[in-house]
Amino acid sequence: MLLSSGRIPAWKPTANPILGEPVSSITRDNHRRGCNPGLLLALVPAVLLALLMAALYVVPLPWRLTWPWVPSLGVEFALYVDGLSAQFLLLITGIGTMVFVYGAGYLAENPRRNRVFVLLLLFMAAMIGAVGSDNLLLLFVFWELTTVLSFLLIGVDHDQQASRKSAQQALLVTGSGGLFLLAGIILLGQIGGSYSLQTLLTQAPLLQEDSRLKAALTLIFIGAFCKSAQFPFHFWLPNAMSAPTPVSAYLHSATMVKLGIYLLARLDAAFSDLLFWQYALISTGTFTAVIAAIQTIRERDLKRILAWSTVATLGTLTMLIGLPGNSAALAVAVLFFAHALYKAPLFFVAGNLDHGVGTRAIDKLTGMRRYMPWTAIVALLAALSMAGLPLTFGFIAKGAIVHAKEQVDALQLVSYAAMFVNGVSVAVAAIAAIHIFWGRDRSPRQVQPHEVPVTMLLPPLILVVLGLLFGLVPTLVDPALGAAVHAMSPGFDITTVSESYEFLAVVKAMLGAILLGCVILLSWNRLDLLLRRVHRLHKIGPEAWYWRSLEFLPLLAARQTRLLQHGRLPYYLLTMIGAATLLILILLLAARPDWNWPDLQTLNAPVFGASLLIAAGALVAMFVRDHLVLLLVSGLVGYGCAVLFLFTGAPDVAFTQFAVETIFVVVVAAVLLRLRRTPLDMRAVSTEARLRPLALAVAIVFGASLTALVLLMSGLPFDSVLADFYGEQCL
Amino acid sequence: MISWLPPAEVFVRVLYAMLLFASLWILWRGQNAPGGGFIGGLMAVAASAAYALVFDAGSALRRLPLEPVRLAACGVLLALLSGLPALLNGLPYLTHRGVTLSFGVVELPVSTVILFDLGIYLCVWGVFGGYCLALVRAIEEES
Repeated sequence: MLLSSGRIPAWKPTANPILGEPVSSITRDNHRRGCNPGLLLALVPAVLLALLMAALYVVPLPWRLTWPWVPSLGVEFALYVDGLSAQFLLLITGIGTMVFVYGAGYLAENPRRNRVFVLLLLFMAAMIGAVGSDNLLLLFVFWELTTVLSFLLIGVDHDQQASRKSAQQALLVTGSGGLFLLAGIILLGQIGGSYSLQTLLTQAPLLQEDSRLKAALTLIFIGAFCKSAQFPFHFWLPNAMSAPTPVSAYLHSATMVKLGIYLLARLDAAFSDLLFWQYALISTGTFTAVIAAIQTIRERDLKRILAWSTVATLGTLTMLIGLPGNSAALAVAVLFFAHALYKAPLFFVAGNLDHGVGTRAIDKLTGMRRYMPWTAIVALLAALSMAGLPLTFGFIAKGAIVHAKEQVDALQLVSYAAMFVNGVSVAVAAIAAIHIFWGRDRSPRQVQPHEVPVTMLLPPLILVVLGLLFGLVPTLVDPALGAAVHAMSPGFDITTVSESYEFLAVVKAMLGAILLGCVILLSWNRLDLLLRRVHRLHKIGPEAWYWRSLEFLPLLAARQTRLLQHGRLPYYLLTMIGAATLLILILLLAARPDWNWPDLQTLNAPVFGASLLIAAGALVAMFVRDHLVLLLVSGLVGYGCAVLFLFTGAPDVAFTQFAVETIFVVVVAAVLLRLRRTPLDMRAVSTEARLRPLALAVAIVFGASLTALVLLMSGLPFDSVLADFYGEQCL
Repeated sequence: MISWLPPAEVFVRVLYAMLLFASLWILWRGQNAPGGGFIGGLMAVAASAAYALVFDAGSALRRLPLEPVRLAACGVLLALLSGLPALLNGLPYLTHRGVTLSFGVVELPVSTVILFDLGIYLCVWGVFGGYCLALVRAIEEES
């Protein structure tokens, strides 16, 4: 509602999905044939997944690997894998395998598919690095890598303006959030005296006493909120849906957007009992979830609907991390898993519709089960889990969430918000499964809908079946979840997830959500109209500010360019020397307590003579008008310097100075002789004359501050390290 | 003018050779005394400039071992390469070592630094020489 998207036509990807043109253009001219790299590349995450699972069975967690990286800065290439990281690694490689297989089908005709696959592989590597790092700076490097790769993947269809703008927006929002994160990391590192996450976590009580902690956490929050699309930085995520569907499913639902949540979950062990931590996360998370749920109703494109519901889930996750207590950690771990297992298949369903029907607009899609029976089954199973019906993994997630809230007496407001968000997610599930596939097939269309190839059916099918399996036999995931919970709140060990909540309470909450969901579903269009009326609020929303600042920046740049880049040499010199003078003066004055003037000595004759030569040259230069004479006089200053060097123990420098000065005078004289033939610009001469008093003042201050600087420097004890070194190395 | 002196052309040919020789000597001397690649290169530039002023920029260009940009590039490359052998010995890049060669009575100190210095020499000659000659040519074309 606040952040409505409708008013800015430039970036809203309306044209493609709604007008019914398939995004993955099936009939591209440069259609390539031959071996499909997607299936082959799917082996990479698949092998990694297999290795990971084998290693998890054989080697007990946590795993620790460290190489020195920048030892002088105390930065290590430190990897640390515990339960939380392992859960993420499983998701990254597991969903990654499915995404590559799916991509093989979805991108088969796409001329840019190779680029997408390469970027996806790089992205996967960056994600693995990010969740495996123990060093915060290392984590930051991988974090930013995922940002850049997300930018490239969103903008893969770079010939469309919507893609470019969405990519730019995602980069600007998450990238500037990354800068905040870096500041927060550095501050946290300074407070704790280490950049190692594990070291910091063990020092939690010490950290909490520091007054800078709130500032550090606020900075880290901003970074994490930008990455995980929390209010007010949430608007980039739905726009990122202009990426190809495999990319959206992988980056913008299952893995990358959860990186911010991951970092918060990591730090949860240290700060979960801070009131500041709880308030900030609970309020932001809840507000984000509500805003996203409202926005969901405003959308007609299935993919954007799913995107907003992803934002709502991310908000719920943030809220859960903010809740104190062990059950909240369990809820976070279960929701991580459950969301990936139902949301990724739903994205795949959206991609299948795009591929098989050529549209994702929910108004045009009804009764599709006749044409796409397998996709319909996938959608139904995924939706069951999303709605949280019993016997699905989503039900267990819902149970864990309800339990977490009961344990800590969450605010009544938070519960109402959660109920509304759940209602909307039930409605979304119903739209994806029932409205699209089971309604009557009314609208005539040009394209005959068809089922998609098996590569696009198998991955979502496997994921939803896994979701069902885990729902029926939750003990299968107990070890993974237990390890993750142990990492988030140490000292808490669960034995079985399914026994950690009361069945009846969950069913009660679920029934409420389903009832509300049905109401929302039936009044979807009316709600949309209602929201459209209060739509003006979007003008003060964060996205409007984003566009405003995007317009403002070039104006600011133009203004300061006009101010500084005036194209006149005298002004440039004045600006540069003035700025340098200011800097030197500030530094000199800042160091005033340490000022130590040297003892004055009588000068010997050659040094005195050389100084006289320099001074004479400089003074005469001020009054000479003829440029050639000016050049010769300034040459006098150079020779004076050379003489000075000669008698102050730097014959080498003197030697060079003589040669440079001679060649300089000769070359410039040649240039001047040539310039003489072009008439002088009288206007330039007059501005130069007007500039003279100011120039004189700047010159005097510059000269005085440099003299002071040199005198103060010679007052310092002489450090002979260099001289000794060269004395030793000389032959 | 003074007729018994040889013409300027003859004079500048001798000067050119002498300046180049002096520049090489300064380059060599730079290992242990004031001198080195930069100043030696500047003297070579002076030689080229003098030659161009008496003859013309084109013939001075032809006397350069390579065309200016290539000369400078070769110089930079040589300077960069001179640091590589240290890596083979497990020392940090650009670590140089010296030996004293002895030929019976004469002892000659030699260091790999001379390679780096030679690179600087060629680079300075290429860049500033090229610049000077281009300038002289521009003036020639105008008049």
